[in-house]
Amino acid sequence: MSTKPIKTSFPFTESQFFFWTLIIFIIIFRFYQTQPTYHLTNIIRISGYVRSEPIRYDTAQSVKLAGLKAYLPRYPEIDYGDFIVIEGAVGEKGKLLKPVLINHQTSTNFLYQTRKQIINEYRQILPEPHSSLVVGVVLGAKSSIPEDFWQALKKTGTAHVVVASGMNVTLVAGFLMNFLVTIINRKKAIIFALLGIWLYTMLSGFDAPLVRAAIMGSIAFSAQGLGKLYSAWRALFLSAALMLIFTPSWLTDLGFILSFLATASLMLFESKINRLISFIPNPFREGLATSLAAQIGVAPILYLTFGQLSILSPLINALILWTIPLITIIGGVGAIASLIHPVLSLPFIYAVYPLTSWFIFVVEFFS
Amino acid sequence: MRSLFVWKITLSTLTLYTCLIWLVAVKSSALSGTRLIACDVGQGDAFLIIDGSAQILIDGGPNNKVTDCLSRYVPFWDRKLELVILTHPEADHFTGLIDVFKRYRVETFLGNGLKNSTQSYQVLEDLVRREGSQTLFPNTVNHLRIGLIYLDLLWPTSDHLSTHTDISNGYNNFSLVFTLKRGDFKALFTGDIEPEISSQIPRLSDVDVLKIPHHGSKNGLTEELLNATTPEKAIISVGKNQWGHPHLEVLKMLEDANVEIHRTDLEGDIILDLD
Repeated sequence: MSTKPIKTSFPFTESQFFFWTLIIFIIIFRFYQTQPTYHLTNIIRISGYVRSEPIRYDTAQSVKLAGLKAYLPRYPEIDYGDFIVIEGAVGEKGKLLKPVLINHQTSTNFLYQTRKQIINEYRQILPEPHSSLVVGVVLGAKSSIPEDFWQALKKTGTAHVVVASGMNVTLVAGFLMNFLVTIINRKKAIIFALLGIWLYTMLSGFDAPLVRAAIMGSIAFSAQGLGKLYSAWRALFLSAALMLIFTPSWLTDLGFILSFLATASLMLFESKINRLISFIPNPFREGLATSLAAQIGVAPILYLTFGQLSILSPLINALILWTIPLITIIGGVGAIASLIHPVLSLPFIYAVYPLTSWFIFVVEFFS
Repeated sequence: MRSLFVWKITLSTLTLYTCLIWLVAVKSSALSGTRLIACDVGQGDAFLIIDGSAQILIDGGPNNKVTDCLSRYVPFWDRKLELVILTHPEADHFTGLIDVFKRYRVETFLGNGLKNSTQSYQVLEDLVRREGSQTLFPNTVNHLRIGLIYLDLLWPTSDHLSTHTDISNGYNNFSLVFTLKRGDFKALFTGDIEPEISSQIPRLSDVDVLKIPHHGSKNGLTEELLNATTPEKAIISVGKNQWGHPHLEVLKMLEDANVEIHRTDLEGDIILDLD
């Protein structure tokens, strides 16, 4: 955030202790209250809007609906925001067996349409994996990434850049503020920046890391606007609590857990590491410091879940992280330009190409 | 402060465009010329023929790996395919074309005129219609020219199409079969045709490269077809599969005839320079 945290100690007094204990109890209650219960082997028909991005495989796509996961044929492609009706038998581990797509209506919502239009624009101008990389970095849309490239990203520990991350929100907020304060006064700029953050979060698909960053960002900006003290730690815990009260299922969401651990690690270690490695020149130093700091919290979880750990990962991240803000901003401006007229986006999208070329070169070299 | 910011933006813009120009220069020298590429798309077919700035894509494979293949061999600023051919509407030949139509402009589409009732094929049909490509079928055309490349359609004949309407045995025997000529070079593309058809194909002649029908299945290549075409090189587009493709009988037939065998499952993308 553009606001620096003022104090970084844990904000615990007696009344605060009571407040946080209460919050934890509410979360636990909500978690058990909202767990859907299904009986095995029942044939059911479920309908609803797709609220998370489907994952696409070679010949199938997996869609989450009403707490169940269904593997459907690869085409027709179901997108975030679409309304679908599927039928199938409830299996173990929340899987819907032998699912059949009964009905599929693509979303007519303005935001989802815009998102789709932007993704299409990139796909039509840039080849793979460049287009998926830009779309992943700008919008966190990872569903169309070619399988080989996705594996390479995972192997090199760089997959985090193409999933929706808090960093995107921070970049959008920073860019909006810097731009807006040149035309309107600071208070108004803050209001528009807040709007921008949430619009972006919606456009990118309401993934846990984005919502986390959006709430933290909102708290930071509001504090700034109201002239109040801002504690990054309190903002972090408060956003976690709010998210879990509204969507308890995020408690087991890997993205949610990693996002909080990474943020906490960054707050604790980033500046210290940055000072330790001050002999390394920028832009590589910042990337290395960021990724080393985040690794401290994230690595154990990744190792427990995936059983793999890339030792070279901080180094690779140091080589590529500097391109991410540039890709996000140039790509984002290109996306907005493409909404006015596709031709306007060309100079921006082509300007991104050398950056993605470098990124892809590094990732493929190390994988 | 402000001038520093402007200076920074100008400098980075210039740097990016300089890099871009270098990339264009490097790519255009590396990707020029005439080439036939068998894309490694797993168990399926996808062939790319590049002649200068013109591209012809024959089938799209069973997944979207074909778009990676296009990215590797088509320069990034060229987003138009001059001709896309679908030999027959089976999943291991058409699925990849869905993403191709989403990402590239396609000038002409040549199919065999049959439809598949699956949901995914309907997605492709919709895309072709929306793209507005010129759409050709074997009973409307028998020769095609794209730049210096000539296509001669041999199968299915209009006789065959009018007397055979039953598609319950699949689409294989309705596969488009055609020769592709460029200068002295000649190749025969055979889709998935089965043995009983090979003997009926008219105007077969000597070729340099033969696309082995049906991923090297023994229910594909025949001695007759091999003798009629006497190729120097054979391409088998095949991946991991449950049927044991390519069958040993086919490999032996080719070895006995001293044909150089190229397989996508062993070599990855196969690139033949035609210059």
